[in-house]
Amino acid sequence: MSVENLKAYIESGVLELYVLGDLTPEETLHVEEMASQYREVRDELAAIEQAMEQYAMQNAVEPSTEVETRLFEKLDVSDLRENILTPHTQQEEPRIVRFDNNAGKVKTLRYALVACVALLIVSTAALFVTYNQLNDAHDQIASLSLDKQKYAGLVKQLEFNNKGLDNMVAMFDSKEWATIRMAGQAFSPKSKMNVYWNKKDKSVLINYVAMDLPKTDPEHEYQLWALVNGKPVSLGVFGKPDSASNEALLKMPAIQEAQAFAVTLEPMGGSVNPTMEKLTVMGGV
Amino acid sequence: MTAFKKLTLTEPELVVALQSKDPAVLKTLYSMYSSALYGVISRIITHTELAEDVLQETFVKIWQSATNYDQTKGRLFTWMMNIARNLSIDKLRSKDFKNSLKNQDIENNVSFVDEQNKVTFNPDVMGVKQLVENLKPDLQSVLDLVYYKGYTHVEAAEKLDLPLGTVKTRIRLAIIELRRSFN
Repeated sequence: MSVENLKAYIESGVLELYVLGDLTPEETLHVEEMASQYREVRDELAAIEQAMEQYAMQNAVEPSTEVETRLFEKLDVSDLRENILTPHTQQEEPRIVRFDNNAGKVKTLRYALVACVALLIVSTAALFVTYNQLNDAHDQIASLSLDKQKYAGLVKQLEFNNKGLDNMVAMFDSKEWATIRMAGQAFSPKSKMNVYWNKKDKSVLINYVAMDLPKTDPEHEYQLWALVNGKPVSLGVFGKPDSASNEALLKMPAIQEAQAFAVTLEPMGGSVNPTMEKLTVMGGV
Repeated sequence: MTAFKKLTLTEPELVVALQSKDPAVLKTLYSMYSSALYGVISRIITHTELAEDVLQETFVKIWQSATNYDQTKGRLFTWMMNIARNLSIDKLRSKDFKNSLKNQDIENNVSFVDEQNKVTFNPDVMGVKQLVENLKPDLQSVLDLVYYKGYTHVEAAEKLDLPLGTVKTRIRLAIIELRRSFN
Protein backbone atom coordinates (compact mmCIF):
# COMPACT_ATOMS: atom_id res chain seq x y z
CA MET A 1 0.00 0.00 0.00
CA SER A 2 1.31 3.39 -0.91
CA VAL A 3 2.02 5.99 1.75
CA GLU A 4 -0.91 8.05 0.46
CA ASN A 5 -3.28 5.15 0.55
CA LEU A 6 -2.13 4.27 4.03
CA LYS A 7 -2.68 7.84 5.16
CA ALA A 8 -6.14 7.83 3.61
CA TYR A 9 -6.92 4.54 5.35
CA ILE A 10 -5.84 5.93 8.71
CA GLU A 11 -7.80 9.09 8.17
CA SER A 12 -10.97 7.28 7.09
CA GLY A 13 -11.94 6.95 10.76
CA VAL A 14 -12.14 3.16 10.61
CA LEU A 15 -9.43 2.79 13.29
CA GLU A 16 -11.49 4.87 15.75
CA LEU A 17 -14.49 2.70 15.05
CA TYR A 18 -12.28 -0.36 15.57
CA VAL A 19 -11.28 0.93 19.00
CA LEU A 20 -14.93 1.72 19.79
CA GLY A 21 -15.82 -1.86 18.81
CA ASP A 22 -18.15 -0.53 16.11
CA LEU A 23 -17.03 -2.64 13.13
CA THR A 24 -18.36 -5.82 11.55
CA PRO A 25 -16.25 -8.97 12.10
CA GLU A 26 -14.88 -8.72 8.53
CA GLU A 27 -13.90 -5.07 8.95
CA THR A 28 -12.34 -5.91 12.31
CA LEU A 29 -10.24 -8.68 10.75
CA HIS A 30 -9.13 -6.29 8.03
CA VAL A 31 -7.99 -3.66 10.55
CA GLU A 32 -6.07 -6.32 12.48
CA GLU A 33 -4.42 -7.46 9.24
CA MET A 34 -3.44 -3.88 8.42
CA ALA A 35 -2.11 -3.38 11.96
CA SER A 36 0.08 -6.47 11.70
CA GLN A 37 1.51 -5.21 8.39
CA TYR A 38 1.93 -1.48 8.97
CA ARG A 39 3.63 0.14 11.86
CA GLU A 40 1.77 3.40 11.15
CA VAL A 41 -1.55 1.67 11.68
CA ARG A 42 -0.33 0.10 14.94
CA ASP A 43 0.91 3.47 16.22
CA GLU A 44 -2.30 5.20 15.26
CA LEU A 45 -4.41 2.52 16.98
CA ALA A 46 -2.24 2.79 20.10
CA ALA A 47 -2.70 6.56 20.16
CA ILE A 48 -6.48 6.27 19.76
CA GLU A 49 -6.68 3.63 22.46
CA GLN A 50 -4.54 5.71 24.80
CA ALA A 51 -6.77 8.73 24.20
CA MET A 52 -9.98 6.79 24.81
CA GLU A 53 -8.53 5.22 27.93
CA GLN A 54 -7.40 8.56 29.32
CA TYR A 55 -10.72 10.05 28.38
CA ALA A 56 -12.52 7.29 30.26
CA MET A 57 -10.20 7.72 33.25
CA GLN A 58 -10.90 11.45 33.29
CA ASN A 59 -14.64 10.76 33.16
CA ALA A 60 -14.51 8.05 35.80
CA VAL A 61 -17.50 7.78 38.14
CA GLU A 62 -17.08 6.00 41.43
CA PRO A 63 -19.71 3.22 41.74
CA SER A 64 -21.23 2.48 45.14
CA THR A 65 -19.21 0.11 47.31
CA GLU A 66 -22.08 -2.37 47.26
CA VAL A 67 -21.25 -3.25 43.67
CA GLU A 68 -17.82 -4.47 44.68
CA THR A 69 -19.23 -6.47 47.58
CA ARG A 70 -21.87 -8.08 45.37
CA LEU A 71 -19.37 -8.76 42.60
CA PHE A 72 -16.90 -10.57 44.84
CA GLU A 73 -19.74 -12.49 46.45
CA LYS A 74 -20.96 -13.53 43.03
CA LEU A 75 -17.51 -14.60 41.90
CA ASP A 76 -16.88 -16.16 45.31
CA VAL A 77 -13.49 -14.53 45.75
CA SER A 78 -14.43 -12.26 48.64
CA ASP A 79 -12.00 -14.04 50.92
CA LEU A 80 -9.16 -12.80 48.79
CA ARG A 81 -9.69 -9.18 49.62
CA GLU A 82 -6.65 -9.03 51.83
CA ASN A 83 -4.63 -10.91 49.29
CA ILE A 84 -4.06 -8.17 46.79
CA LEU A 85 -1.39 -8.50 44.17
CA THR A 86 1.51 -6.11 44.18
CA PRO A 87 3.85 -5.83 41.20
CA HIS A 88 6.90 -7.29 42.91
CA THR A 89 5.40 -10.19 44.78
CA GLN A 90 3.11 -11.34 42.04
CA GLN A 91 5.30 -14.17 40.85
CA GLU A 92 6.43 -15.38 44.27
CA GLU A 93 2.97 -15.43 45.70
CA PRO A 94 1.94 -19.00 46.58
CA ARG A 95 -0.89 -20.42 44.61
CA ILE A 96 -4.09 -20.23 46.53
CA VAL A 97 -5.89 -23.52 46.76
CA ARG A 98 -9.37 -23.10 48.10
CA PHE A 99 -11.20 -25.77 50.04
CA ASP A 100 -14.35 -23.77 50.69
CA ASN A 101 -16.83 -26.55 50.03
CA ASN A 102 -14.83 -29.24 51.78
CA ALA A 103 -14.18 -26.99 54.75
CA GLY A 104 -17.93 -26.55 55.08
CA LYS A 105 -18.53 -30.29 54.89
CA VAL A 106 -15.76 -31.04 57.40
CA LYS A 107 -17.26 -28.44 59.73
CA THR A 108 -20.71 -30.01 59.36
CA LEU A 109 -19.30 -33.49 59.94
CA ARG A 110 -17.42 -32.24 62.98
CA TYR A 111 -20.64 -30.89 64.44
CA ALA A 112 -22.37 -34.17 63.62
CA LEU A 113 -19.60 -36.10 65.36
CA VAL A 114 -19.86 -33.94 68.47
CA ALA A 115 -23.64 -34.42 68.44
CA CYS A 116 -23.21 -38.21 68.10
CA VAL A 117 -20.76 -38.38 70.98
CA ALA A 118 -23.06 -36.26 73.14
CA LEU A 119 -26.00 -38.51 72.23
CA LEU A 120 -23.94 -41.61 73.05
CA ILE A 121 -23.01 -40.21 76.47
CA VAL A 122 -26.62 -39.26 77.24
CA SER A 123 -27.84 -42.68 76.05
CA THR A 124 -25.26 -44.52 78.15
CA ALA A 125 -26.20 -42.49 81.22
CA ALA A 126 -29.91 -43.12 80.59
CA LEU A 127 -29.25 -46.84 80.11
CA PHE A 128 -27.25 -46.96 83.35
CA VAL A 129 -30.02 -45.20 85.29
CA THR A 130 -32.65 -47.51 83.77
CA TYR A 131 -30.53 -50.56 84.59
CA ASN A 132 -30.25 -49.44 88.21
CA GLN A 133 -33.98 -48.84 88.40
CA LEU A 134 -34.62 -52.29 86.95
CA ASN A 135 -32.35 -53.83 89.59
CA ASP A 136 -34.21 -51.91 92.30
CA ALA A 137 -37.49 -53.16 90.87
CA HIS A 138 -36.19 -56.75 90.90
CA ASP A 139 -35.12 -56.36 94.53
CA GLN A 140 -38.55 -54.96 95.40
CA ILE A 141 -40.29 -57.83 93.64
CA ALA A 142 -38.10 -60.36 95.46
CA SER A 143 -38.74 -58.68 98.82
CA LEU A 144 -42.50 -58.44 98.09
CA SER A 145 -42.70 -62.08 97.14
CA LEU A 146 -40.80 -62.93 100.34
CA ASP A 147 -43.32 -60.84 102.27
CA LYS A 148 -46.12 -62.59 100.45
CA GLN A 149 -44.76 -66.00 101.42
CA LYS A 150 -44.35 -64.78 104.96
CA TYR A 151 -47.95 -63.54 105.09
CA ALA A 152 -49.24 -66.67 103.41
CA GLY A 153 -47.47 -68.73 106.07
CA LEU A 154 -48.85 -66.46 108.76
CA VAL A 155 -52.36 -66.79 107.36
CA LYS A 156 -51.98 -70.56 107.30
CA GLN A 157 -50.79 -70.52 110.87
CA LEU A 158 -53.64 -68.26 111.89
CA GLU A 159 -56.17 -70.52 110.16
CA PHE A 160 -54.71 -73.52 111.94
CA ASN A 161 -54.84 -71.78 115.29
CA ASN A 162 -58.35 -70.55 114.61
CA LYS A 163 -59.54 -74.03 113.83
CA GLY A 164 -57.96 -75.40 116.98
CA LEU A 165 -59.56 -72.64 119.05
CA ASP A 166 -62.93 -73.31 117.39
CA ASN A 167 -62.62 -76.96 118.43
CA MET A 168 -61.68 -75.98 121.95
CA VAL A 169 -64.67 -73.68 122.19
CA ALA A 170 -66.92 -76.41 120.82
CA MET A 171 -65.55 -78.90 123.36
CA PHE A 172 -65.98 -76.41 126.22
CA ASP A 173 -69.56 -75.91 125.24
CA SER A 174 -70.25 -79.60 125.12
CA LYS A 175 -70.73 -81.44 128.47
CA GLU A 176 -69.31 -84.63 127.01
CA TRP A 177 -65.72 -83.52 127.09
CA ALA A 178 -63.58 -83.29 130.17
CA THR A 179 -60.56 -81.07 129.98
CA ILE A 180 -57.54 -82.33 131.85
CA ARG A 181 -54.96 -79.64 132.47
CA MET A 182 -51.47 -81.00 132.71
CA ALA A 183 -48.92 -78.79 134.46
CA GLY A 184 -45.20 -78.61 133.96
CA GLN A 185 -43.00 -81.00 135.92
CA ALA A 186 -39.41 -80.80 137.18
CA PHE A 187 -38.03 -81.62 133.68
CA SER A 188 -39.79 -78.65 132.13
CA PRO A 189 -41.61 -76.50 134.75
CA LYS A 190 -42.96 -73.95 132.30
CA SER A 191 -44.71 -76.48 130.07
CA LYS A 192 -48.44 -77.04 130.06
CA MET A 193 -50.92 -78.98 127.98
CA ASN A 194 -54.56 -80.00 127.85
CA VAL A 195 -56.02 -83.40 127.12
CA TYR A 196 -59.69 -83.81 126.19
CA TRP A 197 -61.39 -86.99 127.28
CA ASN A 198 -64.86 -87.85 126.09
CA LYS A 199 -66.95 -89.10 129.04
CA LYS A 200 -69.29 -91.07 126.82
CA ASP A 201 -67.12 -92.89 124.29
CA LYS A 202 -63.86 -92.38 126.25
CA SER A 203 -62.00 -91.11 123.21
CA VAL A 204 -58.98 -88.89 123.81
CA LEU A 205 -58.05 -85.76 121.86
CA ILE A 206 -55.15 -83.39 122.09
CA ASN A 207 -55.12 -79.95 120.60
CA TYR A 208 -51.88 -78.56 119.24
CA VAL A 209 -53.14 -75.08 119.94
CA ALA A 210 -53.65 -75.96 123.59
CA MET A 211 -50.12 -77.08 124.32
CA ASP A 212 -46.94 -75.32 125.29
CA LEU A 213 -44.09 -77.82 125.18
CA PRO A 214 -40.39 -77.29 124.40
CA LYS A 215 -39.41 -78.11 120.87
CA THR A 216 -38.14 -81.61 120.32
CA ASP A 217 -34.97 -82.55 118.54
CA PRO A 218 -35.18 -84.90 115.50
CA GLU A 219 -34.41 -87.98 117.60
CA HIS A 220 -37.17 -87.48 120.15
CA GLU A 221 -40.92 -87.01 120.29
CA TYR A 222 -43.57 -86.70 123.00
CA GLN A 223 -45.58 -89.71 124.23
CA LEU A 224 -48.96 -89.42 125.96
CA TRP A 225 -49.64 -91.72 128.87
CA ALA A 226 -52.75 -92.50 130.87
CA LEU A 227 -52.23 -93.61 134.46
CA VAL A 228 -54.65 -96.45 135.06
CA ASN A 229 -54.60 -97.69 138.62
CA GLY A 230 -50.99 -96.58 139.09
CA LYS A 231 -49.77 -98.10 135.81
CA PRO A 232 -48.86 -96.04 132.74
CA VAL A 233 -50.66 -96.97 129.55
CA SER A 234 -49.30 -95.53 126.32
CA LEU A 235 -51.73 -93.47 124.30
CA GLY A 236 -49.29 -92.99 121.43
CA VAL A 237 -46.74 -90.45 120.37
CA PHE A 238 -47.18 -87.00 118.91
CA GLY A 239 -44.68 -84.55 117.54
CA LYS A 240 -44.94 -81.13 116.24
CA PRO A 241 -47.97 -80.40 114.11
CA ASP A 242 -46.72 -81.40 110.64
CA SER A 243 -47.29 -78.92 107.85
CA ALA A 244 -49.15 -81.52 105.74
CA SER A 245 -52.08 -81.60 108.14
CA ASN A 246 -54.27 -78.66 108.84
CA GLU A 247 -55.86 -80.41 111.77
CA ALA A 248 -55.10 -78.84 115.10
CA LEU A 249 -56.78 -81.76 116.83
CA LEU A 250 -55.17 -85.13 117.04
CA LYS A 251 -57.22 -88.15 118.01
CA MET A 252 -55.42 -90.52 120.42
CA PRO A 253 -56.46 -94.07 121.37
CA ALA A 254 -59.47 -94.20 123.69
CA ILE A 255 -59.03 -95.20 127.29
CA GLN A 256 -61.88 -96.58 129.42
CA GLU A 257 -60.44 -95.59 132.73
CA ALA A 258 -57.71 -93.22 133.85
CA GLN A 259 -56.78 -91.31 137.01
CA ALA A 260 -54.24 -89.06 135.37
CA PHE A 261 -52.57 -88.18 132.07
CA ALA A 262 -48.90 -87.43 131.47
CA VAL A 263 -46.48 -86.66 128.67
CA THR A 264 -42.87 -87.75 128.54
CA LEU A 265 -40.12 -87.11 126.04
CA GLU A 266 -39.17 -90.39 124.43
CA PRO A 267 -36.94 -91.55 121.56
CA MET A 268 -38.66 -91.55 118.14
CA GLY A 269 -41.34 -94.23 117.99
CA GLY A 270 -42.08 -94.10 121.68
CA SER A 271 -41.17 -96.41 124.59
CA VAL A 272 -42.93 -99.28 126.31
CA ASN A 273 -42.44 -97.66 129.70
CA PRO A 274 -42.27 -93.91 130.29
CA THR A 275 -38.89 -92.35 130.94
CA MET A 276 -39.74 -90.70 134.23
CA GLU A 277 -36.74 -88.38 134.18
CA LYS A 278 -38.24 -86.77 131.13
CA LEU A 279 -41.74 -86.37 132.46
CA THR A 280 -42.77 -83.06 130.94
CA VAL A 281 -46.36 -82.44 132.05
CA MET A 282 -48.86 -84.30 134.15
CA GLY A 283 -52.38 -83.65 135.39
CA GLY A 284 -55.03 -85.59 137.26
CA VAL A 285 -58.54 -86.21 136.07
CA MET B 1 -11.38 8.47 48.20
CA THR B 2 -7.96 10.08 48.21
CA ALA B 3 -7.24 8.37 51.50
CA PHE B 4 -7.01 5.07 49.68
CA LYS B 5 -4.05 4.48 47.50
CA LYS B 6 -5.12 2.97 44.22
CA LEU B 7 -3.68 -0.42 43.55
CA THR B 8 -1.89 -0.56 40.25
CA LEU B 9 -0.11 -3.10 38.13
CA THR B 10 1.37 -2.66 34.69
CA GLU B 11 -0.86 -3.87 31.91
CA PRO B 12 1.27 -6.94 30.98
CA GLU B 13 1.31 -8.01 34.65
CA LEU B 14 -2.44 -7.66 34.83
CA VAL B 15 -2.92 -9.68 31.66
CA VAL B 16 -0.70 -12.53 32.85
CA ALA B 17 -2.51 -12.72 36.21
CA LEU B 18 -5.95 -12.38 34.63
CA GLN B 19 -5.36 -15.08 32.04
CA SER B 20 -3.90 -17.48 34.62
CA LYS B 21 -7.20 -16.97 36.49
CA ASP B 22 -5.50 -15.70 39.59
CA PRO B 23 -8.47 -14.56 41.75
CA ALA B 24 -6.32 -11.96 43.51
CA VAL B 25 -5.99 -9.94 40.32
CA LEU B 26 -9.70 -9.24 40.28
CA LYS B 27 -9.45 -6.89 43.23
CA THR B 28 -6.59 -5.02 41.60
CA LEU B 29 -8.43 -4.85 38.31
CA TYR B 30 -11.55 -3.57 40.03
CA SER B 31 -9.60 -1.00 41.98
CA MET B 32 -7.86 0.25 38.83
CA TYR B 33 -10.71 0.30 36.36
CA SER B 34 -14.14 0.07 38.01
CA SER B 35 -14.70 3.82 38.13
CA ALA B 36 -13.49 4.37 34.55
CA LEU B 37 -15.76 1.60 33.28
CA TYR B 38 -18.63 2.81 35.45
CA GLY B 39 -18.11 6.26 33.93
CA VAL B 40 -18.69 4.75 30.50
CA ILE B 41 -21.63 2.60 31.63
CA SER B 42 -23.41 5.28 33.65
CA ARG B 43 -23.40 7.64 30.69
CA ILE B 44 -25.13 5.06 28.57
CA ILE B 45 -27.48 3.91 31.38
CA THR B 46 -28.48 6.71 33.71
CA HIS B 47 -30.55 4.47 35.96
CA THR B 48 -28.11 3.90 38.83
CA GLU B 49 -29.30 0.46 39.84
CA LEU B 50 -29.24 -0.90 36.29
CA ALA B 51 -25.88 0.76 35.58
CA GLU B 52 -24.41 -0.92 38.66
CA ASP B 53 -25.84 -4.24 37.51
CA VAL B 54 -24.09 -3.75 34.20
CA LEU B 55 -20.82 -2.90 35.97
CA GLN B 56 -21.07 -6.14 37.88
CA GLU B 57 -21.90 -8.08 34.71
CA THR B 58 -18.93 -6.41 33.03
CA PHE B 59 -16.48 -7.68 35.61
CA VAL B 60 -18.05 -11.14 35.61
CA LYS B 61 -17.62 -11.25 31.84
CA ILE B 62 -14.05 -9.91 32.03
CA TRP B 63 -13.29 -12.66 34.53
CA GLN B 64 -15.01 -15.40 32.59
CA SER B 65 -13.71 -14.54 29.13
CA ALA B 66 -10.23 -13.36 30.12
CA THR B 67 -8.64 -15.94 27.86
CA ASN B 68 -10.41 -14.40 24.85
CA TYR B 69 -8.40 -11.23 25.25
CA ASP B 70 -5.62 -11.02 22.65
CA GLN B 71 -2.85 -8.64 23.63
CA THR B 72 -1.73 -8.21 20.03
CA LYS B 73 -5.09 -6.77 19.03
CA GLY B 74 -5.22 -3.87 21.44
CA ARG B 75 -4.97 -2.57 24.97
CA LEU B 76 -6.61 -4.38 27.86
CA PHE B 77 -8.67 -1.32 28.72
CA THR B 78 -10.04 -1.08 25.16
CA TRP B 79 -11.17 -4.70 25.43
CA MET B 80 -12.79 -4.13 28.84
CA MET B 81 -14.38 -0.85 27.78
CA ASN B 82 -15.96 -2.54 24.79
CA ILE B 83 -17.34 -5.27 27.02
CA ALA B 84 -18.81 -2.56 29.25
CA ARG B 85 -20.24 -0.64 26.28
CA ASN B 86 -21.73 -3.73 24.65
CA LEU B 87 -23.35 -4.92 27.89
CA SER B 88 -24.70 -1.39 28.47
CA ILE B 89 -26.19 -1.21 25.01
CA ASP B 90 -27.65 -4.70 25.38
CA LYS B 91 -29.22 -3.60 28.66
CA LEU B 92 -30.53 -0.41 27.11
CA ARG B 93 -32.36 -2.49 24.52
CA SER B 94 -33.49 -5.23 26.87
CA LYS B 95 -36.93 -5.88 28.33
CA ASP B 96 -35.45 -5.22 31.78
CA PHE B 97 -34.64 -1.66 30.89
CA LYS B 98 -37.97 -1.00 29.18
CA ASN B 99 -39.78 -2.32 32.23
CA SER B 100 -37.78 -0.05 34.49
CA LEU B 101 -38.86 2.88 32.32
CA LYS B 102 -42.52 1.92 32.75
CA ASN B 103 -42.06 1.67 36.48
CA GLN B 104 -41.04 5.30 36.88
CA ASP B 105 -43.44 7.45 38.91
CA ILE B 106 -45.34 10.02 36.95
CA GLU B 107 -43.81 12.88 38.99
CA ASN B 108 -40.33 11.67 38.21
CA ASN B 109 -41.08 11.26 34.57
CA VAL B 110 -40.07 14.72 33.47
CA SER B 111 -36.70 14.68 35.13
CA PHE B 112 -36.21 11.04 34.15
CA VAL B 113 -36.84 11.77 30.51
CA ASP B 114 -34.55 14.76 30.83
CA GLU B 115 -31.87 12.55 32.23
CA GLN B 116 -32.33 10.11 29.43
CA ASN B 117 -31.71 12.81 26.91
CA LYS B 118 -28.84 14.75 28.31
CA VAL B 119 -25.20 14.06 28.82
CA THR B 120 -24.17 14.31 32.44
CA PHE B 121 -20.69 14.97 33.65
CA ASN B 122 -18.74 13.88 36.65
CA PRO B 123 -18.33 17.09 38.68
CA ASP B 124 -14.89 15.81 39.70
CA VAL B 125 -13.66 16.12 36.14
CA MET B 126 -14.64 19.65 35.26
CA GLY B 127 -11.54 19.89 33.09
CA VAL B 128 -12.91 17.28 30.74
CA LYS B 129 -16.30 18.90 30.65
CA GLN B 130 -14.53 22.03 29.64
CA LEU B 131 -12.62 20.10 27.04
CA VAL B 132 -15.65 18.46 25.53
CA GLU B 133 -17.45 21.76 25.48
CA ASN B 134 -14.50 23.17 23.65
CA LEU B 135 -15.10 20.62 20.89
CA LYS B 136 -16.93 22.01 17.93
CA PRO B 137 -20.65 21.31 18.36
CA ASP B 138 -20.85 19.00 15.34
CA LEU B 139 -17.95 16.92 16.67
CA GLN B 140 -19.44 16.88 20.14
CA SER B 141 -22.86 15.64 18.98
CA VAL B 142 -21.31 12.69 17.16
CA LEU B 143 -19.05 11.75 20.08
CA ASP B 144 -22.04 12.11 22.45
CA LEU B 145 -24.05 9.62 20.48
CA VAL B 146 -21.34 7.08 19.84
CA TYR B 147 -19.41 7.28 23.08
CA TYR B 148 -22.04 8.22 25.65
CA LYS B 149 -25.31 7.02 24.18
CA GLY B 150 -24.12 3.70 22.86
CA TYR B 151 -25.02 4.37 19.25
CA THR B 152 -23.22 2.64 16.43
CA HIS B 153 -21.84 5.02 13.83
CA VAL B 154 -24.56 3.78 11.47
CA GLU B 155 -27.29 4.67 13.98
CA ALA B 156 -25.61 8.00 14.67
CA ALA B 157 -25.60 8.77 10.94
CA GLU B 158 -29.33 8.06 10.77
CA LYS B 159 -30.04 10.06 13.92
CA LEU B 160 -28.04 13.08 12.74
CA ASP B 161 -29.10 12.60 9.13
CA LEU B 162 -25.48 12.64 7.96
CA PRO B 163 -23.58 10.48 5.48
CA LEU B 164 -21.76 7.58 7.07
CA GLY B 165 -18.40 8.95 5.96
CA THR B 166 -19.04 12.27 7.65
CA VAL B 167 -19.90 10.58 10.92
CA LYS B 168 -16.72 8.54 10.74
CA THR B 169 -14.64 11.62 10.02
CA ARG B 170 -16.22 13.53 12.86
CA ILE B 171 -15.58 10.74 15.30
CA ARG B 172 -11.97 10.72 14.19
CA LEU B 173 -11.65 14.47 14.50
CA ALA B 174 -13.21 14.44 17.97
CA ILE B 175 -10.75 11.78 19.13
CA ILE B 176 -7.87 13.67 17.59
CA GLU B 177 -8.98 16.68 19.64
CA LEU B 178 -8.92 14.52 22.75
CA ARG B 179 -5.50 13.13 21.88
CA ARG B 180 -4.18 16.63 21.50
CA SER B 181 -5.55 17.78 24.80
CA PHE B 182 -4.04 14.81 26.64
CA ASN B 183 -0.64 15.33 25.08
